[in-house]
Amino acid sequence: MSQPVRIIEKKPIPTEALMLHGLPDVGLVGLIATSYIISELDLDEIAYVDSDLLPPVVVLHEGLPHAPLRIYGGKNIIATISEMAIPAAAIHPVMRKLTDWAQSKKVKMILSIGGMPLENRQDIKEPKVFCAASNRDLLDMLDKKGLNILKEGYMVGPQALTMRYCAERKLSAIVLLAQSFYNYPDPEAAAVAINELAKIAELKIDISKLLEKGEEIRLRARDIMKRTQRELTQMKKSREYDLPLYV
Amino acid sequence: MTHKRQRKRSIFDIMSDYVEDFKTWAEEMIESATSERPSWDIESCSLEPLCNIFVTTKEVVVTADLPCIEPKTVRVEAIGEDLIEIEAKMKRKVHFDDFGITHRKGEFSAFLCQTRIPVPIKLEQMKVSLKHGILEIRLPRKKGYEIKVE
Repeated sequence: MSQPVRIIEKKPIPTEALMLHGLPDVGLVGLIATSYIISELDLDEIAYVDSDLLPPVVVLHEGLPHAPLRIYGGKNIIATISEMAIPAAAIHPVMRKLTDWAQSKKVKMILSIGGMPLENRQDIKEPKVFCAASNRDLLDMLDKKGLNILKEGYMVGPQALTMRYCAERKLSAIVLLAQSFYNYPDPEAAAVAINELAKIAELKIDISKLLEKGEEIRLRARDIMKRTQRELTQMKKSREYDLPLYV
Repeated sequence: MTHKRQRKRSIFDIMSDYVEDFKTWAEEMIESATSERPSWDIESCSLEPLCNIFVTTKEVVVTADLPCIEPKTVRVEAIGEDLIEIEAKMKRKVHFDDFGITHRKGEFSAFLCQTRIPVPIKLEQMKVSLKHGILEIRLPRKKGYEIKVE
């Protein structure tokens, strides 16, 4: 039986790298942040994800076809983005494969960036960033660096599975969630997430261009946001508003 | 000839199947009504903004994401009892070329959409604000009548 998800490598993959996940999610925070980092660091497309579980789509850039779910790399960084909302049914096998692949490439740490929906987001000037980690040592490190720890709650979607699979395999993983709009693209939230990222990884990125281009990004990201919103509903993303029971 | 004896299905199984079928039908209807049209309209030179409706016990809150607009040009109009139209002119015209798209021709100078409100509302008490490019429309809900608990 063929594998449900395959990663096709196009160029040599850096080892001992930091891996970033920026998949479409609340406010497209991870996708916007990671796409900006890829552009600022001028990373190359090194691999892509292929699966029958994903829609039969190619994205044309400069007239050439690209898989929507791609992996970039260089300078000890690997970054995953998707220009297409990942169907809820494909999330499990895709995230499992990405985690297995990261382990095989001896990735130092996986850092998944996402959004945390905030009802009155338009009233907040600077969104806060919260984080979670796959093990106690990492969590202590985040605490010492002054990051806000997400102590209780549910996490749904790609970040949730990164956390689960990395904890199972004893891989280091951190999830950064910036307060954001639930269903509007949020470049400001992406910018604060990048700033917090600099506290964890040695990765200083100037966010001024991202903030300047914010409105244009919101204009262009409408369609992917709309489709992502539908998949978030399928994933029961609204469960993140629920209160967990811990007696 | 042997017959397999069929287990009689309970009313709950039948209801559960009915609810599942209805949910599937409703999802298909929503999908067909909303997904297969572009988020732009060449004729009216407009883009459809991302828009959402929240219904609370007291009010209905409609929000719309309106990037790159001239705030003074925002217009919210009630069309009938349950339909509102949102329009806003953009700071500059946007062409398909601006998105690197060369196989389509057209330019857009405004955001335009109509939103149907799912519950009765007091349109005359509508409040509109614009913060960080997000339009917020608050509509108090119409009260019905009270039923005494015996």
